[in-house]
Amino acid sequence: MATNSKKLLRSERRSGLLYTSPFFIIFAVFGLFPIVYTFWVGFHKWDPFSEPTWVGLDNFVLLMGDDRLWLAIRNTFSIWFLSSVPQILIALWLAWILNHSRIKGNTFWRSVVLIPNITSVVAVAVVFGQLFGRDYGMINWLLTVLGFTPIDWVNGTFSSHVLIAIMVIWRWTGYNALIYLAAMQSVPEELYEAAELDGASKFRQFIEITIPQIRPTIIFTVIVSTIGGLQIFAEPLILDGQGYAGGVSRQFSTVTLFMFEQGFSRFEYGYASAIAIVLTLIVISFSIVNFLIVRKIRA
Amino acid sequence: MAKTKRLLSLLGLAAASGLVLSGCATQTTTDSATTDSADGGTSSTEEQKVLQFWAFGDMGLGDLIAEYEAANPDIKINMKVSDFDPHHQGLLTSLDSAAPDIAAIEVGYSSLFKAVAAKFVDMREFGAEALEDDYLDWRWAQGVDLEGRVFGIPTDVGPMTICYRSDLFAAAGLPTDRDEVSALWPTWEDFIATGEKYVAATGDSFLSSTGYVWNAVKNQSDEKFYSADGSTLVYDTNPQIKKAWDLSVAATPISANIGDWTADWNAGMNNGAYAVLTCPAWMMGYIQSQAPDLGGSWDVATMPEGGGNWGGSQLTIPARAQYPAEAAAFITWVLSAENQQKLFEKSGQFPSTVAAYESESLLSFESEYFSNAPVGEIYATGVTQLVPLYEGPKERVIDQEFGAALGRIANGDQTPGEAYESAIENIKRDVG
Repeated sequence: MATNSKKLLRSERRSGLLYTSPFFIIFAVFGLFPIVYTFWVGFHKWDPFSEPTWVGLDNFVLLMGDDRLWLAIRNTFSIWFLSSVPQILIALWLAWILNHSRIKGNTFWRSVVLIPNITSVVAVAVVFGQLFGRDYGMINWLLTVLGFTPIDWVNGTFSSHVLIAIMVIWRWTGYNALIYLAAMQSVPEELYEAAELDGASKFRQFIEITIPQIRPTIIFTVIVSTIGGLQIFAEPLILDGQGYAGGVSRQFSTVTLFMFEQGFSRFEYGYASAIAIVLTLIVISFSIVNFLIVRKIRA
Repeated sequence: MAKTKRLLSLLGLAAASGLVLSGCATQTTTDSATTDSADGGTSSTEEQKVLQFWAFGDMGLGDLIAEYEAANPDIKINMKVSDFDPHHQGLLTSLDSAAPDIAAIEVGYSSLFKAVAAKFVDMREFGAEALEDDYLDWRWAQGVDLEGRVFGIPTDVGPMTICYRSDLFAAAGLPTDRDEVSALWPTWEDFIATGEKYVAATGDSFLSSTGYVWNAVKNQSDEKFYSADGSTLVYDTNPQIKKAWDLSVAATPISANIGDWTADWNAGMNNGAYAVLTCPAWMMGYIQSQAPDLGGSWDVATMPEGGGNWGGSQLTIPARAQYPAEAAAFITWVLSAENQQKLFEKSGQFPSTVAAYESESLLSFESEYFSNAPVGEIYATGVTQLVPLYEGPKERVIDQEFGAALGRIANGDQTPGEAYESAIENIKRDVG
């Protein structure tokens, strides 16, 4: 009897492994292998014209002294901060409205907020490029009409970061709002009723009930937007259409853009891999920091 | 509850490590707007061969491809167009994997690809040696590596002129007749002085960017960033490069600081944001397509201090092409003297085939759009003034650094001295 059940358990375990194996195989080929291979390349000097040669830590030593890396890191964090903070606040506000208002066509509005997310980044960049053009852009036209001086969005450091952040906010706010909405719907109605009886305002209810109740979801979105935001690539790439440099003064060069420039424009595969590894470390450590900060939200 | 929290945050962290590295592989194509031609390869017969053709512009080949497909029903040519730099970078990295049947390589990149010429079909296998005398010798040489492998056949050449808006010149009180305009600027200093007069009279910019002066002057010599034999880097000692830099800096006040190929640049071609462009023959086609309503407003004058070449490509067949023989047949047909001449009359690319320069119909060709300028004769004269210019393997990287430095001056981010220093420093680090 006992041996029989053990046997059954073993065969169950085996079939379980079999069922889950496609994931592990695909992950090994498309996830694990590239990661390991990137590490291997990072310790070599390699371009399309020669065989890879082992250079040890040379790429990393060179990289630490490369001011382009530090500039790219500064830009990446600046863009991340400018995009993530407003994005999360607006998403919370949108979710709150979608959850609590009695407007008609709930499903319709929920779908609408997701539309920016399914639009191609390239199309978004083209449209924003037209809106924010220096000479013939609509935004500068509006600024001129209102009596302000027009802004050279792409060529300024801060203004180009703002422009990229606006594209990111436009694209990801709706997505985050839907995730918050799902979380808000599982908050028990009784809590709000009790607060209502105690005379708490809507805003007070939002701060004291909603936020703490959906804390795990906020942690999740903060970490996902950290991972995504620190790898920002398409928006700055398409901003000026002049390649991977990120502007004439590298004013909006991001770490991923710098990696691409070295890998696929300068063909320094080893150096580019070293940048990728550094980026990975930055993202992991910064995700942990964010996790620790957001966890402090009062339960 | 606590469990879900932990699960969610774990999920985030796990995703962190996975996303960062695997994310790089998927994004390589986002920068090149891919436009496959209509038919995705659905063939009516089993036998149809689809040739994949990668280029960085449509090269005006639409009509010729249609003609070739009609005459050869078993061949279908699928053109994939990407942006200039991504096209060449993508081609270089796919030579060992998913290479196309036909690929265009621009002269600025020709030396880079010469180093990997063995990864292309040697066209001597398909009788390319017999074609050599048909083409300009220095253009032919850009498709031949040190061991004599012919890895590409030349497309057009880009002798330069100045395209100018005669209506805007008239408004600024400048002459409009093309001979009188040419007489305004025997030297680049005169050209810039004319620009200053224009700016003073109109308040508008004369040039779209200082890059136009840079591009023209640096190409007016037999040496650019590399010595003529290609052995040493001379970007910081070549007097011609210094001259091109100084003239470009001097042109800053008459330039609009608009990036090439941007929406503002295209719009400016129509609305007078700038009045002149240095104009290789192929630029005529671009101006016509961007400003179709301005026929008769644009005209062509000669460039200060003689000619200069900008652009031109070789058509190549990567070694991993699926149909090399068919690709070679198409390339030799489409780049024949007769077809190159057709292309010139339609969209402005000037033939690299020497027979065309004697052709009565080419020499008498006038462009209606460019105020009936005798562009056939103008560019044929321009071609004979060209001297072969060596383009080195890191040509593009060096040029991009100088270009960005000129941009920093135009933005007011750096003084000319600082910009030059930083350009040289960047090139030293990346090129040597």
